Amino acid sequence: MASEATTLQSEVLNALRFPIVVGDILRKRQVLKKELLKQTNLVQTRIAILGGSTTTEVKSMLELFLLAQGIEPAFYESGYNRCFEDVQFANPELWNFNPNIVFIHTTWRNISGFPELLEAEVEVEHRVRREMARFESLWEKIHTELGALIIQNNFDLPRFRPLGNLEASESFGNVNFVLRLNAEFASYARNHSRFLINDILYLSAQVGQAAWFGQSCYWYNFHMALSPTASVALAHNVAAIVKSAYGKSKKCLVLDLDNTLWGGVIGDDGVQNLILGRDHPVGEVFLDFQRYVKNLQRRGVILAVCSKNDAENAKEGFSHPDSVLKLEDFSAFKANWNPKPENIRAIATELNIGLDSIVFVDDNPVERDFVAEQLPEVAVPNVGTDVSSFAEVLEHDRYFEVERVVQDDLNRSAYYSSNAERSAGQARFSDYGEFLASLEMTAEISPFLPVYLERITQLINKTNQFNLTTRRYTSGEVVAIAQDPAFVTLYGRLADKFGDNGLVSVLIGQVFDETVQLDLWLMSCRVLKREMEFAMFDVLIEQCQARGIRKIIGIYIPSKKNSMVAGHYASLGFISMGGASEGRELWCYDVPPTYSTRTRYIRRTAEALLAAASPESASAPSEV
Amino acid sequence: MTRDEFLLEMDQILNLPAGTLRGHERLEELTNWDSTSLITFIALAETDGVCVSPSQIGTCSTVADLLHLAQVESTPS
Repeated sequence: MASEATTLQSEVLNALRFPIVVGDILRKRQVLKKELLKQTNLVQTRIAILGGSTTTEVKSMLELFLLAQGIEPAFYESGYNRCFEDVQFANPELWNFNPNIVFIHTTWRNISGFPELLEAEVEVEHRVRREMARFESLWEKIHTELGALIIQNNFDLPRFRPLGNLEASESFGNVNFVLRLNAEFASYARNHSRFLINDILYLSAQVGQAAWFGQSCYWYNFHMALSPTASVALAHNVAAIVKSAYGKSKKCLVLDLDNTLWGGVIGDDGVQNLILGRDHPVGEVFLDFQRYVKNLQRRGVILAVCSKNDAENAKEGFSHPDSVLKLEDFSAFKANWNPKPENIRAIATELNIGLDSIVFVDDNPVERDFVAEQLPEVAVPNVGTDVSSFAEVLEHDRYFEVERVVQDDLNRSAYYSSNAERSAGQARFSDYGEFLASLEMTAEISPFLPVYLERITQLINKTNQFNLTTRRYTSGEVVAIAQDPAFVTLYGRLADKFGDNGLVSVLIGQVFDETVQLDLWLMSCRVLKREMEFAMFDVLIEQCQARGIRKIIGIYIPSKKNSMVAGHYASLGFISMGGASEGRELWCYDVPPTYSTRTRYIRRTAEALLAAASPESASAPSEV
Repeated sequence: MTRDEFLLEMDQILNLPAGTLRGHERLEELTNWDSTSLITFIALAETDGVCVSPSQIGTCSTVADLLHLAQVESTPS
């Protein structure tokens, strides 16, 4: 029975992945929802949908796609076309709902006025500014009073073009006007951290305008701005954005080699006979797929190889002159004759990531099925055997959706490569302390700084293993906490002689009189066993002494992934406060008047010391 | 699509156990026959290449009328 239930749930989840059959979802939505709600450990969220049109279909589909991502939404839905009024007049029902996320479902139909024929450019510009003022007042009020993450549709194009192709070039053309507004929305998104665009201009092009709007009855009879087919596409896209906000995007792409990254079999054909490059139609397809993968790697997706090949042969493939991908792009490399599930497990261990962070791409359906069966946590998209569709399939299921790309993302491959150097270095020492000392580690530990808030939010929502409470915060909540003197906040960056590990630890504590309760303490697994937690604790004690805090309460909430920190508070000298209740363990530490630092091998850098002393370190961020 | 297939599809749209509908049921007496199921019916007919409008649906009294509107084979099972 258990395996039947698992199979059914697997079928349900597959129904919501590429290739999505819209008819199946429409027919079976109630059954799908019922099965998806049986999942355990669903993350709860509150989403307010503010519509400029009927939102029932969008809400229904969004619920399914969010459940498929392990997120259970509670919804608030504004009255028909009441999105502005609900916010401007602070509808008590919306305010009491206290959403984590506000999704603003407006479309071209909600543009208050298009330019008149032959309207002067200066008047068109005024029109743009008025439209922006209308939306910005909505966004600012949500940011200021609700603190929610905003997901805002940009605009799709109107169905008809009275001016024909002039619509695109003339400033009074409707198409031109929509594109200008979209550019303004994009600019706002770039400059505000709790604001994300749902790109319906792209989606409508992807779906096709006829399918996007569907029959005219959807608008005239039901005031649905989109057809049910388009609602499926839109909901899928919004769910991908929400998923990334909750840290559920994948981290690692594991790739086969032969007939996946190049045409041919390297062991048989040799590098000179591989099909790769612009001289051959199929070679160009593989080249474009390599380019796609390289672009993922550039913005922080970890790459790994899992290939049935001799290792030396496999590596040689990357010396092909047309190969865009190079050996150094990969943070793990398993080329041998072992079963692929075994190799993928080894990759996860080596990279210190969960199996559920991995996407596996292989042209061979037998290998795909075997991995999917043996490692159900690994995402194994059905890419088929034609490499020209691989990128499309990966794109469609938005495995690697991100809220932002931050500098730490660009350096991710380098971190993993330098980790390999550290591991090699460790092998030369018989005493672990001597090894740690040899690393010449320095740490920057300070209260939250505006420049790091995005990375802090990212880490909070991605870290599972060294995480005492697995509490998640939206970017809006992180910004609010950073500004609130009722909180103690610390971030930690760690560098050593091999390189900069980046921002790797976060701590949030809420102050009640002379006590601070640690609601969050996490650390990236890439710096485990370096005593970074001692360095963080030393600074926490400093902060407590400076603020007159006498007691620290540590909370440990066990999860499936964080058993490694079960003894964390005990190791720091905390005392257990008794039996666990509601799945939480409470630990207590009395802050001593004098304290000897625990850190033995990490030196705090001057930058952090200066930042900690600066009055600006606890001030509001420069925007939002 | 056969008549039986259509009825099974209507069972799903209305969240009824498979095999519930026989065709004689009056739409106004079906609890889940609401705007959502009406929209779903229109969308599914569209995916099958049949355009139906709300006003046409408004002339239907029974499930069998919908079957006829969706141009389903009338041969009973």
